[in-house]
Amino acid sequence: MTSARSFAVLTLLAALAAAVLFILHLGLGTVWIPPDRVILALLDRPTDPTDLTIVRELRLPRAILGLLVGCMLGLSGALLQVVMRNRLAEPGLTGVSTGGILAAVLFLAGTWGLPPPGRLLPFVVLLGALAGGALVLFASSFRGRIDPLRLILTAVIVNAVLGSLTAIVMLRSQEALGSILSWLIGSLNGRVWDDVWLALPWAAVGIPAGLLAARAANLLQLDDESGRALGLPLQPARVALFGLAAVLAAGAVSVSGAIAFVGLMAPNAARAIAGADARRVLPLAALIGCVLLLAADLVAQSLSIKPPISSSAYRVGLPVGAVLAVFGAPLLIILLRRSIR
Amino acid sequence: MNDFEPIRLAQVSAGYGQRMVLDGLDLELKQGTITAIVGPNGSGKSTVIRAMARLLPTRSGVVLLDGQDIRSFGSRGIARLVSVLPQSPSSPPGLTVRELVELGRFPHTGLFGRLGAEGTLAVESALTLTGLTDFAERPLDELSGGERQRAWVALALAQGASTLLLDEPTTFLDVRHQFEVLDLVTSLCTSRGMTVVMVLHDLVHAANYADRVVVVDSGRIVADGAPSAVLTVELMRTVFGVAAKIFTNPESGRMFCLPIGTGRS
Repeated sequence: MTSARSFAVLTLLAALAAAVLFILHLGLGTVWIPPDRVILALLDRPTDPTDLTIVRELRLPRAILGLLVGCMLGLSGALLQVVMRNRLAEPGLTGVSTGGILAAVLFLAGTWGLPPPGRLLPFVVLLGALAGGALVLFASSFRGRIDPLRLILTAVIVNAVLGSLTAIVMLRSQEALGSILSWLIGSLNGRVWDDVWLALPWAAVGIPAGLLAARAANLLQLDDESGRALGLPLQPARVALFGLAAVLAAGAVSVSGAIAFVGLMAPNAARAIAGADARRVLPLAALIGCVLLLAADLVAQSLSIKPPISSSAYRVGLPVGAVLAVFGAPLLIILLRRSIR
Repeated sequence: MNDFEPIRLAQVSAGYGQRMVLDGLDLELKQGTITAIVGPNGSGKSTVIRAMARLLPTRSGVVLLDGQDIRSFGSRGIARLVSVLPQSPSSPPGLTVRELVELGRFPHTGLFGRLGAEGTLAVESALTLTGLTDFAERPLDELSGGERQRAWVALALAQGASTLLLDEPTTFLDVRHQFEVLDLVTSLCTSRGMTVVMVLHDLVHAANYADRVVVVDSGRIVADGAPSAVLTVELMRTVFGVAAKIFTNPESGRMFCLPIGTGRS
């Protein structure tokens, strides 16, 4: 589709966009800090000592999470679309979102009235997410074989079951409803360094491994016979790529909740731009994921709302997941109209 | 191509699930020749090719690749020695000819998938040999059926294997493109010394292009030899159940058997 040079230019542009959004993201908040002061604070040479605290302690974790989560979801979606041979596949289809949320709901319902769950919740979500992914993989493998169509159908079924269980638990303990809402839609509000440390190992392992999987991904995009004839053991490759997609998505869900659309939009945008070669689609999907998530979180932060229940002037930012769904969906539709004739 | 002991099947039985398709088959390829495998639908032609590349495990008997049991090879090791072009290959929409052909280097590249000088050369020469240099940056789905088939042959060539197995390479192509693909395969066989096996439905093609015709029926080899010796009126009647006449190709002087069927005469 595109030559090697125009692909390099595109990648550079996307990386530049991510960098600009990152700096803007650090500037935005109750107090606006202009980009030059943000950069100076990052470099440990602040013009105003409070810049250092605001940028590095309060805002940096959230911006880094925006980068990591966007990258992980974009890459996870791109891998999953290859394994499932379907451009509708997205990270939620690994079962990790519904698994993570069910775990969170059970945890909140079970501990309600006890001392606040504190920092334990993300760990619980992470465990639930990994269990959800393992469940989908286990339920769809038949005599050690993974078939793309059976994998999708199993994922949809497992997600439906886990979602229903979540609804049942929530109905039984409605007090937990409020806290779970932001996990259901996905948000980066109030994230701190601890959250970064939780997501970082998954990103540090999953992102390079996911990018290295491009060669196997390319062969999985051919028919089964051709892939095998070129020397790729199909079943282990499918399990490995699904596992990578699930691990990336689980890491993201554990800190941000079930953010939809990034993992669907980023790979489809990457394909529309760079063609079908996974060596281009995978890194581009990861980059576009970063850009989308940072941009959406910028909007989410600036469009704060005043919750009706609180009497004070206290305002909360919109959840980034909601912004993505509202603004991202039309963008995706435009892109698909242009790329698929 | 370096010297390499061609594939040999010894007493090979293979099948799918409960159904056995090949029944104690013996076949030894000859290096640098074109072998056509013909036979009625469901006779096991494609299965012979699949067994040769270990795409289907054998139930009994042994497949020898370069003199060794094929089960002792890794998947990529087999792919370095044998290229297979399946019956209906498919690629994702938008994949360009060059991107497809580069996949042929998978058995040769390491973790990072760098083509290297040797790989780049193999890809370029595969594109040149198949006449696709001008189409290299075009997506496969924008090409004609014949050009697309040539691209898949180029992928198999870039693999650098000395044995090429083709499963019905001319099906779905119009008559000009059928000859184009067959001429290409013949020239590869002579210029690169490749050992070629083709499953063919068209017996006239088999007679015109193959050095040797192997007739498979119900999982067994029922005839094997030079086209003129194998494709007889008698065989056409017993194996395919059609009437036929023997003709001589005035161009090549080769004898061939033309099925004429029963109706309309």
